[in-house]
Amino acid sequence: MSHHLFLLSPSDTPLYSLTHHSSKPVPNVSSPLSSNLPNWSTSAFAGTLTALSGASSSAHQTSSGTVRMGGGQDRHVIQMIANASLDVIEDIMKSQSTMFLKSVDKFNEWTVSAFITPGNMKFVLLHEGKNDDGIRAFFTDVWELYVKTMLNPFHTAHTPIRSTIFDTRVRSSAKKHL
Amino acid sequence: MDTHAFASLAQVKILLVPVGTIPQSTFNKYAEELRSFDAIRLGDIPADNKDERARFMPNPLSTGYLHLSFPTHPPPFSHLPLSLLRPSNFPLAVIGLAACSKTDSLPSVLAEFNAALLDIFPAGGMYPLAKNCFVFEEGEGNTNVNLGDNVPGLVVIPSMMGNKKLYIGTLLADLCSHVLGEFGTLVQGLESPAGNEHLNSALMPMLPPPDLAQPVDNGRKRDSLPPLPNHNGQPEMKGFNLASTPNLKRNSSSASTFRQSTLSVPPTKKRLSSIGVASSHGRLFKVLGDFFLLAGRTEDAAVWYNEALLLFRSSSDAVWQAATLEGMATVSIIDAWSAGQGLNTSTSSSRGAWNDVFDKLSQAINLYQRFPGGDGEHNYSLLAYLYSCAVLRQASLLFSIWSAKGWGPVAFGTMLQPGPTPYLPPTLSHEGLTSWANLERLSSLSGIPRASISAVLAQVHGPWLLHLGPRERISILESTASLYACLGYRRKEAYILREVLGCILDLIVCGREEDGFSRLSSVPLPSGLGIQGPSSSQRGNVGVRFSENIDGNESVLRLLKYVCKVLGINLDAVRLLETSDADITEVQSAPASVEDDVATEFMEPYGWPELQVGVVREAVAVAEALPDYLAVAQFALSSLKTLQAVLAPGDQYHLYATSNRALMTAHRRGDSKSVEYWSGKPLVSINLLPLPLVRLPIEKPLSALQTRSSDIAPILTGGTDPFLYNPRRALGQGKSLVVQNELLDFVLVLRNPYIFDLEIQSLSLSTSGVVFDSKPVRVVLPAGSLHVVTLSGKATETGSLVVRGCLVQAPGGTKREFTLPVTTGEEEERISRKRAALECEVGRSKYSGLDCFPWEKASKRSSTQLTVSTTKPPLRFLEYAVVPEQPLLRIRRTSVTHGAVMMYNGEMSTIRLTLENVSPLPIDFLRLAFDDSTIASAQQALATGDLSVFDTYETEYDLLHRPLFAWNKEDGKDIPPGQKLTVNVNCYGKVGCTTGTIHVSYSYVHRSTTSLDPSPQVFHTRQLSYPVMVTVYHMLECQGMDILPFPSVPSELDEEQGEPDEHYLGNEAGWCLFSVEVRNTYGLPFEVSFERVQQGGARGTTSTTVSPGSTSRMVIPIKKFILSEAHLSRPIPTLSDRQFVVTKSKLSKVQERAQRELFWYREELFKRLRGRWREAGGTRSGDLSLRQQRMTLPMLETLRTETASIAMSLHRRESSGNIPVTLTGGKYHPPSSEFVYLRTKVTNLSLTSLVFTVDFDCQSSPHVIFEGLLRDVPIGRLESGESREVETGLCFLAYGRFEILAEAKIVGATESKGTGRLTAMVRAEE
Repeated sequence: MSHHLFLLSPSDTPLYSLTHHSSKPVPNVSSPLSSNLPNWSTSAFAGTLTALSGASSSAHQTSSGTVRMGGGQDRHVIQMIANASLDVIEDIMKSQSTMFLKSVDKFNEWTVSAFITPGNMKFVLLHEGKNDDGIRAFFTDVWELYVKTMLNPFHTAHTPIRSTIFDTRVRSSAKKHL
Repeated sequence: MDTHAFASLAQVKILLVPVGTIPQSTFNKYAEELRSFDAIRLGDIPADNKDERARFMPNPLSTGYLHLSFPTHPPPFSHLPLSLLRPSNFPLAVIGLAACSKTDSLPSVLAEFNAALLDIFPAGGMYPLAKNCFVFEEGEGNTNVNLGDNVPGLVVIPSMMGNKKLYIGTLLADLCSHVLGEFGTLVQGLESPAGNEHLNSALMPMLPPPDLAQPVDNGRKRDSLPPLPNHNGQPEMKGFNLASTPNLKRNSSSASTFRQSTLSVPPTKKRLSSIGVASSHGRLFKVLGDFFLLAGRTEDAAVWYNEALLLFRSSSDAVWQAATLEGMATVSIIDAWSAGQGLNTSTSSSRGAWNDVFDKLSQAINLYQRFPGGDGEHNYSLLAYLYSCAVLRQASLLFSIWSAKGWGPVAFGTMLQPGPTPYLPPTLSHEGLTSWANLERLSSLSGIPRASISAVLAQVHGPWLLHLGPRERISILESTASLYACLGYRRKEAYILREVLGCILDLIVCGREEDGFSRLSSVPLPSGLGIQGPSSSQRGNVGVRFSENIDGNESVLRLLKYVCKVLGINLDAVRLLETSDADITEVQSAPASVEDDVATEFMEPYGWPELQVGVVREAVAVAEALPDYLAVAQFALSSLKTLQAVLAPGDQYHLYATSNRALMTAHRRGDSKSVEYWSGKPLVSINLLPLPLVRLPIEKPLSALQTRSSDIAPILTGGTDPFLYNPRRALGQGKSLVVQNELLDFVLVLRNPYIFDLEIQSLSLSTSGVVFDSKPVRVVLPAGSLHVVTLSGKATETGSLVVRGCLVQAPGGTKREFTLPVTTGEEEERISRKRAALECEVGRSKYSGLDCFPWEKASKRSSTQLTVSTTKPPLRFLEYAVVPEQPLLRIRRTSVTHGAVMMYNGEMSTIRLTLENVSPLPIDFLRLAFDDSTIASAQQALATGDLSVFDTYETEYDLLHRPLFAWNKEDGKDIPPGQKLTVNVNCYGKVGCTTGTIHVSYSYVHRSTTSLDPSPQVFHTRQLSYPVMVTVYHMLECQGMDILPFPSVPSELDEEQGEPDEHYLGNEAGWCLFSVEVRNTYGLPFEVSFERVQQGGARGTTSTTVSPGSTSRMVIPIKKFILSEAHLSRPIPTLSDRQFVVTKSKLSKVQERAQRELFWYREELFKRLRGRWREAGGTRSGDLSLRQQRMTLPMLETLRTETASIAMSLHRRESSGNIPVTLTGGKYHPPSSEFVYLRTKVTNLSLTSLVFTVDFDCQSSPHVIFEGLLRDVPIGRLESGESREVETGLCFLAYGRFEILAEAKIVGATESKGTGRLTAMVRAEE
């Protein structure tokens, strides 16, 4: 089961991203409808479609390397989903004041949970299973780490986080909670 | 195309088909007319009560409605298996629309209609059930119309018909009646045991055309086979009974209930018993329900649906069960609609009202999703389609309620008759789309949060979309995207739109690749199509160009731009301009303000870089695949411009290459548009390459030509200006001067921030003012660097030349001007203030997400500091004054070899310069000025003012009277064009000088001007400089100057001198000796001579040869002189007439006077002496300067003539008179013990009359007897030059040598003014 974490600045720019593969099994919730998919790859654009619709085909090969799109676990698609889920997150955060928005959105096989800091940073986590307490604990950890990073006077709301310490701590927290 | 209205299950689809040559606009007009009939009252439908056909006919008094929809596209053939499961998916009737003019014959129209139908509907299908052809008459008085009435299956609608609408309504009702009748026939076939078996034979059964479909086609006479009687007239079908009749009671409010119970239910029951038990009747009941729903009889439909559900519950037939649930949901909505018809306002936000519907749909969705799988390949696509439709149905349920502000008639209306814009409900205007508050208001009113709608809608998206055919996929994705858009979820919309684009482009590309040769490089080929490679090569190298169909390209591009915009990329950042007017508009456009640069500097990153890059690449690929080359270039360049910071090098290079290629192609194909210049502001600076000094014109006022009377030698003051702020001086330097018709080189620094070499097709200067003649150049800016380009040109007129900036044109683009204003202080301040405000703002976000697009930032800013002031001060630019053509002079040759001059100290030599006028203009003004390395230091020493008055004078004297170079002004003459002139420059060797420069200023002053011009106040000169390296050897050194008294005359000298009266005559004539040591520090012997130049032509010379390393003392007698008091009282002059000289010395009056005396006597002395040297055995000679020597007070005393001279002589007084005592060798030999008389003659040598006394002093006084006084012997007043004698008697009492001294004094003063001396030798008589 994999998790994808994105720390998004108020202008939707990811400052930090993490892909975490946990040892827990993936709950098989896929519909029979998504089985036995046709394998028609007629053009690069069909590849885009395949990827975006969430069909977990193997990495799509392009001949000239101009458009590189991948399969269902493709990073680009994950990012698209995370970005698209911001619509719902923004919508909900305007009407609710909670920081932790659990399972705020679902798209394809992904469930999106989010955490909104008072500084309007959004932590977006794409996950497959249901693990609310673990995710809440994980978000709290990440928030604390993020606040510690922001204590750096040279760090603005738009500076990407490249600290290795931050990275290792987030990873260890992910290992613990997710 | 396909709309997914909520109530589509209840809508009778009537396909509209254009027949014959009906223009699209006409077709649309009539289709619109037909579409206005979205529902027909059941009561209006003529009943056909023929046995089985009467089954679905409405009760004449029923109040229900038949809902119609008029698609213009038939469903795809692949949907045929759905024909029993989902009859509403198919057009139940067809209307052909034809426009008829005089020439058309109606039978041919009918034939065409039938042919079209055969084309549209495959032979195997069971629909349409009815058809008709409407022929609209065009034009007046058509004769064919009368004919048409006889043709069956064709209705002519005359153009002059009054109430056309009513007529059409009647026609439609007839058609519907026909359809309902056909329902009965169809059901009759299904009710047979064989029919039921067939119905249950597969998941999605289809009526096979030979048996069951036959009677359906009967009416249309599609084929000539006779109807099969065994199915048509089954007697069991009449007796039908339903087990669940009591259920009907629930719906007893409707008037039609009674009729239904009597007419249709009992036969069903009867039939049930008789049909074989092999399969359940669930599917049959479901079909019945569907047909009743379509027929507008909801009560019956609900009954049958419930029956079906009961049966499905026991058997597992998930798909049919789900379809039934959907039908039931539709029934509730239709009921609610008909109940709420008429009252428009009552809405309720309670969830209870529609919860049941929602649950049913959820159940259906679940059933579809869980269905374990079909048996054939087709089923996947159809299942996915059914699933997606169900999801969309549920979503549109929520959406309709939400957008209608609650459960009410408006919501029902939206669900039933979505109209032309199904996803833009009336509550959401276009402007409302972006307003969050507006959307949120709907949510709170309806009690449905948007997130829940989105959650429902998200179910539609999944891998199963791939099962769908392209048409269904596009339509479902479109609907999804529209719903998201209305919800204000623009990112989700963008996501879906990307898929839509993928679908469309896939179709475009695949469709095109069938022909195999119009393929683009960047559209990757699928691996399976490799066969086409060789086949295309068979065409040889002939390029085949097809005229492409560009319909729809515009919309695809608009979608692309929208998607990119949502992700924060402005694909319109680089605009497309018409080439024709681009040149004009660009020049007119206001210069980009500096603020823009500042603003871009603080641009914050927006969006998700990786996504942006991916989307941009896709956008370019899409545009390339269309192909729209200009769009390709626009997209590629826009992304380069806006995403430069996040694009990887490879991407940048790829985008640039793509854009170049696309622009070239577009250009080749003759596109009239081109892109504007895109790459930011490349211009960093513009500078005029400084003109070489030779060519630099210098402006001079014309008054400088007139000689001024009082001229302070400018050399003394140097270039220093005593004023810290001199407005006059600054005035002249405002504009740089350049010369007309001469080449000017401008140095441009251009910047390329990209990682690829940027090509600029044409780079030229943008100037205003006088005409500037320059050619644009083609430049390639190296990657990631600053590049210096030199542009040259000529100003062809005189006046002011303003350099605004440069015009830049990228290949295939239009020209764009980039200005470079010269910022004033005020401007600078404004910019820095702005910068500070922006800097303060950076890192703070007021808006987030989609509200903070970079291009919207400026408009949302409310800070007053950043508001752009409306009154912009005019920009200032680099300005140059172009002066008239100037002549040009050059140094043709000089007499100096290697530019170096070697001289001895004090030597004079001559440099010969030959100047040549190489211009076509004459030179009528020529001046020489000089400079050397000693001047600057001397000027500086003078300027600091620390020098004593004496030193100041020395320095000034040096500067003025002994310059390194000098010239004769008479040499300056006119030089006609092409002529030469030789000028002599005198050189004077001056120790310490290392370099010197000869400046030649020249001009053409007296040029002929046109009478219109006012005579110029200024003229311009040019300067030619000739540097000379100077080496001056310091070979002779004077030191130890001394002036000694000339006490007595040695006898030797006496004899040597031939002219005693002119020469050394003791101290009586007032001579003294001048001596100086001359040392030769050089390696050659020099002959040194000193010459005395005194008044009255008395000259004397002394000379000697000083060998290397040795020192010689030169001695020359000098006549003493005296300077008048008036002369001495003059202060030491300053040669420069400098002002502001404050005497710093704190000397007393006496000391000052002494200093003055020293000064003036020294000056006089140097006037009377001239030292010269000559190279021994050589020709070089020069002056030997004594100016280094200082004069001391004793020397002055010696040099100065005494005030009084005393001449003393001894006499003996005999009877004969006075006899002078013998005088030998300057000594007197008086006798001893005998009286002699000492005669003392005092002469007043001074220039005034004085009163003198004389003191005598006899050193051996005991042996001398004096008569009279020895002290203060009065002489009396003597006029100037007058002399008087006194006699004193004395007697030498012993032998020996006596010295008698006399001192003349002025009365009242103690110092002696003149001395006399007499030596007497008293010996025994020989």
